Amino acid sequence: MKKLLLLSLLIASTLFAQVDKPIEMPYVEYPIESGDHDEVVQQYCLICHSFGYILNQGKKSRPYWKGTVQKMVNEFKAPISKEDQQMIVNYLVKHYGYETQSNQSGH
Amino acid sequence: MKHLNRRHFLGAGLLLGASALLGKETPEKPIAVPQEYTPPIIAFPEKKPMVTISDRPPLLKSSKGREIFTQAITPNDEFFVRWHLPDIPTHIDLNEFRLEVKGSVNTPLSLSVDDLKSKFEPAEVTAVLQCGGNSRKYYAVTGQATHGVQWDHGAMGCAVWKGVKLKDILNRAGVKESATWVGFNGLEKPAMDETPDFFREMEIAEALEDQIIVAYSMNGEDLPYLNGFPIRLVIPGHFSDSWVKMLSEIMVMDTYRKSFFMDVAYTVPDNDCECVVSGSDFEYKRKPIAAMKVKSVIGYPSSNSVIKKGSKVKISGVAFDQGKGIKEVMISLDGGKSWSAAKLGQDFGKFAFRPWSFEWEAKTKGDFTIMARAINRIGNIQPMPDEIGWNAGGYQYNAVDNVSVKIV
Repeated sequence: MKKLLLLSLLIASTLFAQVDKPIEMPYVEYPIESGDHDEVVQQYCLICHSFGYILNQGKKSRPYWKGTVQKMVNEFKAPISKEDQQMIVNYLVKHYGYETQSNQSGH
Repeated sequence: MKHLNRRHFLGAGLLLGASALLGKETPEKPIAVPQEYTPPIIAFPEKKPMVTISDRPPLLKSSKGREIFTQAITPNDEFFVRWHLPDIPTHIDLNEFRLEVKGSVNTPLSLSVDDLKSKFEPAEVTAVLQCGGNSRKYYAVTGQATHGVQWDHGAMGCAVWKGVKLKDILNRAGVKESATWVGFNGLEKPAMDETPDFFREMEIAEALEDQIIVAYSMNGEDLPYLNGFPIRLVIPGHFSDSWVKMLSEIMVMDTYRKSFFMDVAYTVPDNDCECVVSGSDFEYKRKPIAAMKVKSVIGYPSSNSVIKKGSKVKISGVAFDQGKGIKEVMISLDGGKSWSAAKLGQDFGKFAFRPWSFEWEAKTKGDFTIMARAINRIGNIQPMPDEIGWNAGGYQYNAVDNVSVKIV
């Protein structure tokens, strides 16, 4: 019995060396531009992902950002009203994008 | 293809300098070069400080840039990280953790990590793990910028994976005759119940292939949490989208399950070039990306290095493919006019990084572009940057790599 107990202790100490306590994930506050209803952007985008996703894509066109917000709603089921979607798209185009007359490719 | 790219050159200003060096036409109208955001460098659990593209879900790459690719094996604490969903368990109790094998099997299994280690034959493979979107920012050099996070070459690494063959697990469970697909799910969870799980699927014939393993060890250690502790799927030669992390469920199925992550994400046009010939990418029938394309990346020197005339420069890097094996890596120092063979280093197996090096004596002052081009044993060769087929997702980038250096 003693032997068994010792053995199980040994196994436990080697197996769980790394996982005896939860890991702590750092929180990063990504700097995003304020104004133009950034509070709506904060409210919805941060439910699922950091602003790193926005900042690391480079400047994108209006059709691109519109398509991306639609993807969040249609595929990922983000609960964003039509009005708020429009606000988010406008914000993204103004601060992280550009206007184009037409863009047929890739959207 | 070229025409399409040029017409839609907007937003492609990221790397104009490199583009000019490659002899590409400069676009007619000047383009405002977008300011590139520089992510912070932060230490995550079990990781050295890494470039933090996102903290939630975590997307991390080595802070060494190219230099990480001067070695064939990527250290665990510098190995790139890419999750899809925001809620990752921060603690896993191995007493309770189980890999469930269920669905169309004769005997459903519930396996602990200890079961995997003690009740199955161990299997080991050295294999490259590369995100489908790795290097996608370079599509913008010759064409339109693609969707998604603009990864440089940082979303790849190579490790020694040890675990259990997937086919041994499936055979232990006994796959029923009716089974056609196998689904894989891990412990990462969406923030909302309605969001689709990161559920990946594989045809049963592929799942029973010899080389796929459920890995519990990476480079001789437990997998780091952020690389999928305690177990992940390893599919040598394939892009990493189906290398499910924190693997908790293997579901044997009689029918394919449609899902966002299989049918929309990580797909390319289903044609010969897997690229957009005209019109919009998403007008095409889709297919999931799978086998990796032959590729080499220069680890040293970095772009914009200044080198003293007369120095001996050991140009080095890594090359890999879908598992046919690298036959040759060629180096050009004159913009692709002439090529010389690099020396291939140690062979860690057909799915691994093949290190290579090339001794160069920098005799002449001036600007030089170093290019590296790999060819594999079945004759697949890397395209030049202006030849690569474009896709909106920016997947499978494998054009000839280049760095610019100045000899003074």
